This record gives sequence, structure tokens and C-alpha cells, in this order.
Amino acid sequence: MSGVVAGVDIGSTTAKCVVLGEGPRILGKSLSVVGVDIVKDAERALEAALADSHLSRSDVSFITGTGYGRYKVYFGQLVVTEISCHARGAHFLFPGTRLVVDIGGQDTKAIRIDEKGEVVDFAMNDKCAAGTGRFLDVCANALGYDVGEIGPLSLQARRAVKVTSTCTVFAESEVTSYVSRGKDPKDILAGLHASIANRTLSLMQRVGVEPEITFTGGVSQNEGMVHALRRRLGAPVNVSPLSQYLGALGAALHGRERLSGGAA
Amino acid sequence: MITGGLDLGAGAIKGALLEDGQRILATASAPSRGIPVQVARQVLDALGEAANIAPDDIDYLCTTGFGRYTIPERNLQVSDFTSSARGAIFLFPKTRLVVDVGTQASRTMSVSDTGKVLKFKMNEKCAAGAGRFVERCSKYLQVPLEEMGPKALASERPKLISSVCAVLAETEIINNVAEGVPLPDILMGVFLSLAQRAHSLMRYVGIQPEVTLVGGLVRNVGMVKALHDTVGMDLNVAPEAYYAAAIGSAILGHSRLRKLAAAPQGAGG
Repeated sequence: MSGVVAGVDIGSTTAKCVVLGEGPRILGKSLSVVGVDIVKDAERALEAALADSHLSRSDVSFITGTGYGRYKVYFGQLVVTEISCHARGAHFLFPGTRLVVDIGGQDTKAIRIDEKGEVVDFAMNDKCAAGTGRFLDVCANALGYDVGEIGPLSLQARRAVKVTSTCTVFAESEVTSYVSRGKDPKDILAGLHASIANRTLSLMQRVGVEPEITFTGGVSQNEGMVHALRRRLGAPVNVSPLSQYLGALGAALHGRERLSGGAA
Repeated sequence: MITGGLDLGAGAIKGALLEDGQRILATASAPSRGIPVQVARQVLDALGEAANIAPDDIDYLCTTGFGRYTIPERNLQVSDFTSSARGAIFLFPKTRLVVDVGTQASRTMSVSDTGKVLKFKMNEKCAAGAGRFVERCSKYLQVPLEEMGPKALASERPKLISSVCAVLAETEIINNVAEGVPLPDILMGVFLSLAQRAHSLMRYVGIQPEVTLVGGLVRNVGMVKALHDTVGMDLNVAPEAYYAAAIGSAILGHSRLRKLAAAPQGAGG
């Protein structure tokens, strides 16, 4: 039996899969959009990551599912919450991590972990789109931008406007009214990023802010958000191009532990 | 003595003219678009025309609502809680609880028999409990706002919404449409979710009869039914209650004017 394991993270917006060999080597990964048929999306995510690794299904010894759609990963042998997975994934990439901040498409989490990557405490907003990737999506739309463009644009702001609405719907109206008052979209974008950073900080404070801080989830790919968070914290924040895959990576790591017989 | 009340809300500007603080001469409204002062003047013109009086014949103008400070010709401004409560008591003297689901905020307040606000609770932070949620549904379901209520009444099995966020609910509703849930059931689900929000505000303040509905929601039959079914008691509903805050502020303007007239010359400001 090979030591190859896979983790599949089915989020609200995207599906991520990581194939992990023995040792600290990622053999392949995939990222795809989640549609209506989550079961199929999960299958496709695995197939794509296997293709990226030049492996076939039979080469994989163990598959773990995580994320909001984790119970739809029917082909897996284990299901782990995304909180444990993000903790494990962040610990793997940045072993000094004590606080994981995960901003996803539909929720935000702050997870405090110990030196082994075990969860100590966490706080989560999954009730409301405020402060999540969805908030950025809606506001980007209101300004006529693609969500991928807004981070870099926000970094060119000269004077960030103050966005006072918490609610995504009200923030959208606030953005529109700033536009009609002739404010520079870059300044509005900087204000939006700062407002999410504020919200994220209060979530982090609920579990205790302790370095090192590792930023994960889809929104961690937004450099404007990374900048806003660093600025608000006045402290460094770990970010990796792999940040978005940390849930899937953590799932794979949990699978590996299970395969090698018991907890780490 | 003729007093005017203007309620400058997020969705509409509502106005009322009263004679001696006792008789409604006219009511009028216009959507809040563009510059509030201009819309307010249109409403004042419409009021004058309906009551057949010139603008100068208005002895005193009292404003309320979130735009109450924007009107230079006002003589007085009062909070929307005070004016809604006063208007509700005028329309239904036995009112003890007032419920107002507006475009941008929903509020509820308990009132004394003289229309004094005793306790209140408001949600202005989140669109899920406000009319803006209904407006958004109207857009993406492509049902005109005024047809939503009547259509919802045909619902047999309302499709409840589990999300407590207007944005996340949108995804849920679109999924429901894709799954073939009948439109009336989806619409009634939207109203029930708003009604549940209003109900929790009401419980916070304390529910006691009579309960009077005021503001934007009274015009929506779907919303009224949803609230009636959720609260499980009779609710006072009247077309004039849409103007309750404007009526209330005209009444409060009248009381102020009488006090000023009764005060000794030169004593007041």
C-alpha cells in the first residue's frame, strides 16, 4: 500500500483537492467552482488533482473529506471538520502558527491552535455574509469590478473612505452612494477592505490574538485584504500561495495520521 | 390651526396635514429618490393640493424619520419612535404596542395611553429584518414589489428560509426556485422570515394588545398575514397607518404650537 493520501475540501464556492505523498511533498492539487451537484463536484476535484499528480485512483490509499460539503465526499474514508483541517494545514506550512484566520466565500473563522496543530479554541461567523468573501463579491459587483481586481486596486487608494455598514446589503447601498458622490473607487475599495479587517480582528480577539498568525481561505489570495489585515493588526501575517488549499491539505494530513494508526 | 407632518424615511417620504391636531385633511407620499428636500417639497405641494390650501396656510411643520434634519422650512423635528407612537394612538387609541417594518430598519415600541414611548427595540444593522430584503427578492424573483403580497396569499405550504442573512438567503431562495418550489410559497417564506424577526423584537419589548402596524409594511397584504400568523393575535391595520409617523408629527407640531401660543409674550424663543 502506498503512502499517498488525498484531502477534498468542498467549500460554499469552490472545491479544493490536494494529493500528498510521503513526507512533506504535495504531489498535485486542484481548484474548481462548486455547482448544484456537489457529489459530482467532489469527484471532479479528486480526478483533477490526480491528473495534476500523474496518479490514478488506485494509487491513493486514503481520502478525507472536509468543508461545508464534506458529507457529499462519498468516496472518502474519513470526514473531518474544516476547523481541524485548517488548523492542521496551517501548522504544516507554518509550524509556528498559533492563530489561523480563515476567510472563505461564506464564512469567517478564527482558530487558535497549539504547537502540534491541534485546535484550542475557535470563533466563527457563518450566520451572515458580512466580512466574508461574499461581501467583497457583492461590493465588487456594485462597483463594476471582478472580485479578482479589487485587492490590487485597493492598494492604490489615497484616502480610504469609512464604510460604516456591517450588513452586506447596506454596504452595497453605501458603496453606491459614495460613487454618486464622486469618491474614487480605489478609496472606496480600501474602505471596504479595512472594514472587513476590523470585523475579522474582533473575531480574532474572541479567541485571543497570538503570533504567528496564518491567513487562509479564498480571501487570503486577495493582497488588498492581506495588507488591510496586517495594517489593522500591526503585526506580520503568514500567507502562502497554497493558503486556499490548507483545508484540503489538512484533510490529507488527518488521513495520513489515521492511516499510520491513530492520532499524531 | 393647520399643522403638517413629514416623515422622511429611507424608502419613501410621507406627509400629512391636520386641522387642530384632530382631523386629517390630506396625506401624500413619494419615493425617496434624489435630493430629499426636493421630494419633500413635492409631497408638501401634493398635500396642499389635496387639502386645497396654499403652502403659507401651514402654520407649523414638524419633521420626523432619518432625514428629518434636511428640511430647512421645518419648525420642529421629532424622533421616528415618538411620532409613530403618537400616530398609532391617534388611529387606534387602545394601542399598546407599535410595530414598524421599514425599508432600512424595523422597530417596535410599547406606548402609554397618551402615546408616550415606554420601551423600544430596533434593528437597523441588518437588511434581513427590513423592507430592503423584500425589495431585493422582488428584483431577483422578477415579481413587481406591489404584486408580491397578493401573490404570497395563494401559498399553501410556505417555504421557510433558514438563513438569517439577506445575502445568504438569496442563494437559498434561488436554489428553491431551481428545485421547483411554487412562487407563492417562496414569497410567503420571505414574509414569514421578516415576521419572525419582527416578532422577536416585539417579544423583547413585551407583547400586549392592542398591536398596531404602521409604516411601509401595512401596505403589503402578504406581510400583514405573515405577521398575523406568526404573532397569533389580531393586529390593527388601516391604510392611514402607512402615514402614522407623519400624522404623529403633525399632532406633536400642533401641541407645540398651542404651548407657544399660550406662553406669555416674549417669554419663549
